[in-house]
Amino acid sequence: MAEIRLELIEKIEGEAQVRYHYEEGQVTFAEILFLNSRHIERILRGRDPLDALSINPRVCGICGHAHLIATVRALEGCFEGLRISDKARNIRELTLSLELLQNHFKWFYLTILPLLELEAPLERALEPARVAGEMIALLAGQYPHTSYALPGGICGEITPVDLLEFRHRLRRLQTLFRRYIVDVELEAFVHCERIEEMLGKSGDLPKAMRRILDRGWERLGQSHDRFIVFGEGLFHPGKSVGTRLREHLDLRYVREEIVPGTQARKVAYRDRPYETGPLARAMVMKTPLVKEAHRRYRDSLFTRILARICEIPRLIGYLDRLLKEIDLAQEAWIDPGSFPSEAEGTGIVEAARGSLIHRVSIREGRIREYEIITPTQWNLGNGTPEDPGVAQQALIGLRREDPTELVFKSFDVCSVCTTH
Amino acid sequence: MVTMREEQTAIRKEKKRSAIIKEALRLFATKGFYSTTIPDIARSIGMSVGNLYNYFGSKELLAQEIIRHISAYLGARIREINESDLSVQEKIRQIVGIYFRTAKMEPEMIDFFLRVYLSNREVFHEGCEGMICVNEFVTEIMIFFDDGVAKGELKNQDFFSAFGLFMGYLGGMVFLNGERILPKALDDYVEEISENIYNALKAS
Amino acid sequence: MRLLWLSALACNGNAHTLLNYPDFERWQEGFEWLYHPLLPSTHTLLEVEEGIDGVEVLIVEGTLEEGMIKNSIPLQYLLERYASQAKWILTVGTCATFGGIFARGGEDRNGVHFSGGERLEEFAEFWEKSISLPGCPVQPEILAGTLSLLKEASPLPLDRMHRPKYFYAYTVHDGCTRNEYFEYKIDEHRFGRLEGCMFYEHGCQGTFTHGSCNKILWNGVNSKTRAGQPCMGCTEPTFPREGLWRTPKHMGIPARMPLGVPRRAYLSLAGIAKAFNIERFHRPLLEDEDG
Repeated sequence: MAEIRLELIEKIEGEAQVRYHYEEGQVTFAEILFLNSRHIERILRGRDPLDALSINPRVCGICGHAHLIATVRALEGCFEGLRISDKARNIRELTLSLELLQNHFKWFYLTILPLLELEAPLERALEPARVAGEMIALLAGQYPHTSYALPGGICGEITPVDLLEFRHRLRRLQTLFRRYIVDVELEAFVHCERIEEMLGKSGDLPKAMRRILDRGWERLGQSHDRFIVFGEGLFHPGKSVGTRLREHLDLRYVREEIVPGTQARKVAYRDRPYETGPLARAMVMKTPLVKEAHRRYRDSLFTRILARICEIPRLIGYLDRLLKEIDLAQEAWIDPGSFPSEAEGTGIVEAARGSLIHRVSIREGRIREYEIITPTQWNLGNGTPEDPGVAQQALIGLRREDPTELVFKSFDVCSVCTTH
Repeated sequence: MVTMREEQTAIRKEKKRSAIIKEALRLFATKGFYSTTIPDIARSIGMSVGNLYNYFGSKELLAQEIIRHISAYLGARIREINESDLSVQEKIRQIVGIYFRTAKMEPEMIDFFLRVYLSNREVFHEGCEGMICVNEFVTEIMIFFDDGVAKGELKNQDFFSAFGLFMGYLGGMVFLNGERILPKALDDYVEEISENIYNALKAS
Repeated sequence: MRLLWLSALACNGNAHTLLNYPDFERWQEGFEWLYHPLLPSTHTLLEVEEGIDGVEVLIVEGTLEEGMIKNSIPLQYLLERYASQAKWILTVGTCATFGGIFARGGEDRNGVHFSGGERLEEFAEFWEKSISLPGCPVQPEILAGTLSLLKEASPLPLDRMHRPKYFYAYTVHDGCTRNEYFEYKIDEHRFGRLEGCMFYEHGCQGTFTHGSCNKILWNGVNSKTRAGQPCMGCTEPTFPREGLWRTPKHMGIPARMPLGVPRRAYLSLAGIAKAFNIERFHRPLLEDEDG
């Protein structure tokens, strides 16, 4: 018997409406509709290019910093022969990575554990997020909504005292990881290959994974098993179909399409939908534990949730390495010269939820066109019953008693980014 | 609270100061700045040298005070113009008018400004650094420019380019007048000069 | 105290910034979230749409768009219903207060009581019990502090735009570590340096923007201007102006003066300050040997 159920999904940095189509008690299709757009791209038209550094972080209150870095990269792409120092590059990587960290903690404790009916004390979400915010602010002035990166480098200057305070709080993040997520030495956990070994440890991650297995949900939420990563830094760009890796990507194959009935445009690579985000990154990087989970359960919610949490110790390790590499003697900012009056540039960033692409074109010294493609557009873009999008595919086949909201939210949806 | 007696003393002292300045300017214009001494000035107004030193500690300090005095005088006149409702074009005419009128009525003042202040920086470098002694005057010119740009009537440009054009032009005319080279009276040039300045500075 | 948080066209920056309040978990024990976009709440948004009771403080975030529908109910209706119920209404962030960034993205978009600096009639009946907390985002201490003061029934003097004076009477300039460069009119500034003031060339609006950014530091540690970025005037009705990284000038004179300072006063002081070349302010801060 055919049936349609409309559900409002809340607390996904906004909301979304999902219209489930059921037949014989199983989901045959799900339309995902986002409701309101702010039209950031319209707001940017005609403005001074540097204004984008101030406006774009406001696309999102939790991943706005990724938008800043994507913006500055797109603007820098407009200059010929622009140079930034390794110091400036590293500092930007530090703040960017911290935003990913606070996203992952908040999602895990505010969204996932409650859906698994596990205890989720608020401070486990908020203390790491606060510490990460302080660390960003030490380098960038404030968090959220800083604009401290501009073409040529960063606005201010960093002293050893700033890095001291930064390092002090990095130790705190390491402690919190062990205290809450999993009680294992970070380096050891990064190299962990066996699911059973992880499940045997104490911490909220093993608890969550064990709960999924207990409920028999470990195979739910499988999708197209196709993954794409555009950004670099800690991660590797590339695409993976199942485990088949292809490293070369051409941005010209990325195409956005307006979808009627929703404010979110869908996006495809060579006309196929791809998943982006921590699972995609783990598949392309071949993170051992995630590879193992994928071998057993493919791209289910188990693998997806595991992949996101596995990024936490890697990001913390990355922060450590970056700190050691920073040479404070280098210039914080190198004058790129005046902004060209006609130019184009692209900026790519790996944000918490996946690849973020910004494209800007400048005419007569002003922004003529600005395009933003967010990770949630990749993951939650609407397809058709014949050709469903990534999250849609993950929902298809679910039965009434299955945790549809958990499957949906395993993608860590950002509603405001998607509609921008 | 000031008594009647104290007030009368203050007024007397102020009058004395003005008299010293006026006489000093006259002597500087006729005898030259370096040739004029404090005793010269004192003798000329019938004051003891010691008493004059009570008012001005040295000739340099007197010179600096004179400049401040001139700046305050012109600054106050231009401030009135700035605060009026006249158009930018009319204000230019008024400013040029004031400048030329002062040159005509108080020729020693302008003479002092051009020949002493501008030409003998060493007299002024301690106590009149930069433009601090002509602060009131320069501030009013800044306000005039700022207002003109804000109203969209003057072209937005570098301050010193505009300032140099305006002041250099006026100073030049006054200098020529002082050398008795101009065929007409200074007043007769107000219209044309104001128009030239307006055309040079106005927004396109 | 029971709080209802409603979002219009928002980025959620204000919802997130509140969570950075030190010891937030303990602070919020004194409050009940009837609904919050991120935190565990007593009700779902669906229930809020259907209608709930007991709202004591209505918190609005985001720009209002005429006719916008939250899920199935026009937002206007929800606002009117809960604004009537509530004892206090807080417009959090510049978007909800003045329209902010997102008001520029479409027609018929504004704040609850203001469109830019202009008062609106729409929700005028609720003006008396409204408090404006602009900022992009607002500082967590300001939101948490205002809620605590309301809870304690403490006096909360407001300015003409209903911003609490305890937070908004200061200017962003108060407490900036680069103040000396402003005081002595040192107008060179290069990015990437500890030295210099961004007021002269790079658009800093700190001297005429109401806020506590350099008094209550961001995240307890820093501020934009300390880190070399110009203040963008985000608590003001005019935010965001054009050219946020440039200082508009009239013949080299900054077009906007520090708050309440007459042009003549500023220019006179500037003229005097500029006459002196104070070496210390032209040398790198960390290389200074003598005073």
